Amino acid sequence: MTSAPPVAAAASERSTPAEVGGSRARRAGSGLGPGSPRRRGRSSNGLRRLEPYAFISPTAILMIVLMLVPIGMVIGYSFMNNVITNHNPKFVGLDNYVDVLTDERFHTALGNTLIFTLTSVGAHLVLGLVFAMLLNTPLLSNASKAVFRTIYFLPWLFTVAIVAVLWRLLLNPNGVINYVLVTLGLSDNGVEFLADPSLALAAVTFINIWAGYPFFMISLLAGLQGIPRDLYEAATVDGASRWQQFWNVTIPQLRPIIISMCLLDLIWTSQQFALIWMTTGGGPINVTEMLSTFTYKLAFSRYEFSMASTSAVIVLLLSMILAVFYVRHQRARD
Amino acid sequence: MTTTAPRATAASAAAKPSRRKADSFAATEQAGSPVRRRIEKVGVIIALCLGAVFAGFPVLWMLSSSFKSNPEIFASPPSFITKGFSFDAYVTILTDPEKIRFFINSYAVSLAVTFATLIVAILAAYAFSRYEFPFKKPLNVVIVSVQAVPPITLLIPYFGLMVTLGLYNTYAGLILTYMVFTLPYAIIMMTGYFNTLPKELDEAAKVDGSSSFGALWRILVPISIPGIVSVGIYTFMIAWNEYLFALTLTRTNDMRTVPIGIQLLMGQHSYEWNEMMAMSILGSIPVLLLFLFFQRFFIGGLTAGSVKS
Amino acid sequence: MSNVARFRRVVATGIAAVAAVSMIAGCSSGAPADSNGKVTIELAQWWEPELPKGEFQALIDEFEKENPNITVKLLSGPYASTKEQLFAGSAAGTMSDVVGLDGAWVSDFAKQGSLADLTQLFKDNKYDDSKLASQVQLDGSTYMIPVVNFVYPMFSNDDLLAKAGVTAPPTNRTEFAEAAKKVSALGGDTSGWVLPLSSEAPNGIQNDVMSWVWASGGSMLKKGKPDLTNKDVTSAVEYIKGMWDDGSIAPGSFTQKEQDKVEEFTNGRVGLMIDSLAHINLIRQNNPDLKFSISALPAVDGYEGERGIPYASWGIGVSESSKHKTEAFKLVEFLMSKKINSQLSTMAKAFPGNTESEPDFSDADPLFKEAFDIYKAGKPANEFVGLPVSEDLMRQFDEQFQKTLSGDQSVKAGLEAAQKSWSAEF
Repeated sequence: MTSAPPVAAAASERSTPAEVGGSRARRAGSGLGPGSPRRRGRSSNGLRRLEPYAFISPTAILMIVLMLVPIGMVIGYSFMNNVITNHNPKFVGLDNYVDVLTDERFHTALGNTLIFTLTSVGAHLVLGLVFAMLLNTPLLSNASKAVFRTIYFLPWLFTVAIVAVLWRLLLNPNGVINYVLVTLGLSDNGVEFLADPSLALAAVTFINIWAGYPFFMISLLAGLQGIPRDLYEAATVDGASRWQQFWNVTIPQLRPIIISMCLLDLIWTSQQFALIWMTTGGGPINVTEMLSTFTYKLAFSRYEFSMASTSAVIVLLLSMILAVFYVRHQRARD
Repeated sequence: MTTTAPRATAASAAAKPSRRKADSFAATEQAGSPVRRRIEKVGVIIALCLGAVFAGFPVLWMLSSSFKSNPEIFASPPSFITKGFSFDAYVTILTDPEKIRFFINSYAVSLAVTFATLIVAILAAYAFSRYEFPFKKPLNVVIVSVQAVPPITLLIPYFGLMVTLGLYNTYAGLILTYMVFTLPYAIIMMTGYFNTLPKELDEAAKVDGSSSFGALWRILVPISIPGIVSVGIYTFMIAWNEYLFALTLTRTNDMRTVPIGIQLLMGQHSYEWNEMMAMSILGSIPVLLLFLFFQRFFIGGLTAGSVKS
Repeated sequence: MSNVARFRRVVATGIAAVAAVSMIAGCSSGAPADSNGKVTIELAQWWEPELPKGEFQALIDEFEKENPNITVKLLSGPYASTKEQLFAGSAAGTMSDVVGLDGAWVSDFAKQGSLADLTQLFKDNKYDDSKLASQVQLDGSTYMIPVVNFVYPMFSNDDLLAKAGVTAPPTNRTEFAEAAKKVSALGGDTSGWVLPLSSEAPNGIQNDVMSWVWASGGSMLKKGKPDLTNKDVTSAVEYIKGMWDDGSIAPGSFTQKEQDKVEEFTNGRVGLMIDSLAHINLIRQNNPDLKFSISALPAVDGYEGERGIPYASWGIGVSESSKHKTEAFKLVEFLMSKKINSQLSTMAKAFPGNTESEPDFSDADPLFKEAFDIYKAGKPANEFVGLPVSEDLMRQFDEQFQKTLSGDQSVKAGLEAAQKSWSAEF
């Protein structure tokens, strides 16, 4: 963080003579990668137009071969009657979509996923922001902040399977959390966090919050360092209280990060599978059934790959809406 | 909140108040009296400690469990400092060549994924940041939304594809697969990062005779190191912790990674709880070291990358 | 600029590390092709990690010694993911030649056409199948042979039962419910019975719920079709619901798995459980002081007939896409042979799939011998084996059962709902 500005400064210094060399006109027309009239002829101008494609070609090849092809296959499956298990699947049009969209379990799963995802992302954001603000305090020495920063970073280190198993241990009716609750007299016989149908969804959401907030915290912490101090000084001069400064300076400055992270987190959380599968398996009854567990059960417990694919395509379409909003938001900022 | 308070030592805080008071009321609020500052500091410390319990306790419990015997992990009432403290679980793991192999595989794959993702993402991000070209927006939508397809449904077609391409049970297969999963994030972040850098920088270099690639490599990349490092660490963590594809795309244990090693300890009839915990602690150490080592890059990097994305 | 320098150094180190590691990796990756007429077959299973290290490999080494022209490659995976891996493999046509199977999956894999018809292989290889304790068939053809069987008798914690004033392990439902109630009444964190009903691994429905039906000679099927509303199933479900309402069942039931059940028992927190014999050693090793005994699962009061004992198997099948079916079958034959099957069942703490084999009880826990007698006196019963989507059937039943237990619906309504959703699968 401290060393980037000098480097940038050095680089721009280096570039100054060149600017004098008359590249300003070019910049005005930037957008469509302009060719240099001095050094390149018409043919290389055409080449230059191909340049961006050269730059994205590795990505494009990888994504097309390894992502779009399988996704295309999944979309194809969704229009067939039972693929994989059936050797001669037939085209059935939108039948699968009708089946899935009218399935009551799908509605339950969709509702639970919404609750789970929105709560998780909201809590990730709030916790991430609070922790980032706390860790950004000027009141503590850098060393103690580094210690806290490391502790706060810990939940991010573990593979989901372990997070699930660990929390099962902690939340076990005879586990340590219940032991503390009973000892403190907060509960008589302990609480069945994961097995009680009225608590299970809250419990898995809590676990997911624990596992995911560091992503926000680290990024927001970084964002806070990037806010120019003079903005606060100006606000202070205007007589803004610290609460007002938070709302009028901090939040607007962090907005782009917050939006990007929320988008990524919404997409990632909505397909959280292993955590739910390994803590509750979608139960008790169906209170933690998510789109991901619903899809999994269709595929690997009922072997209905067409239906599973259909459900996947629906999820894809939902997130495409999100993606379009995101890209539009980006365009506005370009 | 506290962010706005000047970074002052107690001494300078004591020296400044008079001037600040004269300036504005708000300034008084911020610098505060020494007493107020002390109260505030205590408050912040209390809040930080509470947060640390929330964040750290489960991990501490994991650490403590890794030193316990299997039955003690389930003992009621639970014990924190273990009666039968032992390193057995660690010894078992570290003396098992198969498990060591899992660690080596995880390093190899994660490092390779990280470097390859960074190179490919930097190239793509450069195009997205510096050029306007047809299909740029739709490409962006695709890159963002492909992340949304539940991996579990991709499993079967993907598996078939890897077998067809001859990449099944190879490092290359795993590395390419993870790249597909990490690239979208990396490209989004790197594009944002490059967008914060003035176009004059690279265009000036081009006038000096550099190709576009040269401008990217010699000018943009060195300035963007913090961003690159932050994206790199995140990429590393995704690759390090992935389970589903790591299992499906490999068939022999000599190709498998740490998360599978952990899962192998969860048997049909019983779990090796302490070994699972120990393996997961051991697995997290490299990532933690990376974080500590890169901390300053990491935090600086995300700033520039995301603020103006 | 120090950052740039450091960054370069990091990049260089990273590249060097990757290069070094891939060299190591490159050296040790095996060579599959063999020119001198040797055949390599793969055996995919989850057994090897379950057994003491090296023991299963030793059996395979023996096979290779007997069959010098066959090399066997052991592919082991975690149990919880075995099914997905097999399924992906069969969809891509890369299923291993010989595969470990669970009875619950057979029907689906067979229907998909990925398992070879073993009856045909018996004929082709002139194999005498009369020694096989059981075969899992679909439309008259065998697709899986249970290699070893894990029976699920009743375990009782002698100390807890004695403390609650119960002197002998319960033999019928009334005694069992009484005992469970008394143990729960001891207070603290003790409970009478532990009932794992996790929807992730719903086999509790098979081992801990339906077992009550089978133990009293009942059935959940009628002519191969679901028959969940009959009086046997109803009485078993009502019986369990009664214990639930008495508070005799350990907390956390709805998310517990088999692995949790055994931890609760090992730590002396539950008086009774129905569990796999495979756990005897684990319990002994983890809690040497625990006094427990095993007995047949209680039946309805006054029942005199043969008792069904639930079991789970490590089954074996041959892949339809295998290019070396003869060699693959040789391996199956080897594992089912009298001597090897005895050895395997000894190391797995299970009962042999070959009727002539007998596990070696000399070093084993005395309880094993006892369990073997119970096993021989009763008949193995597991109606889920060979049913279509049987894991999903358990899960459907589980959901209705959980609703019933939590009082959202009556026993009758729950069974009717389960019956309805099961009927749709047949």
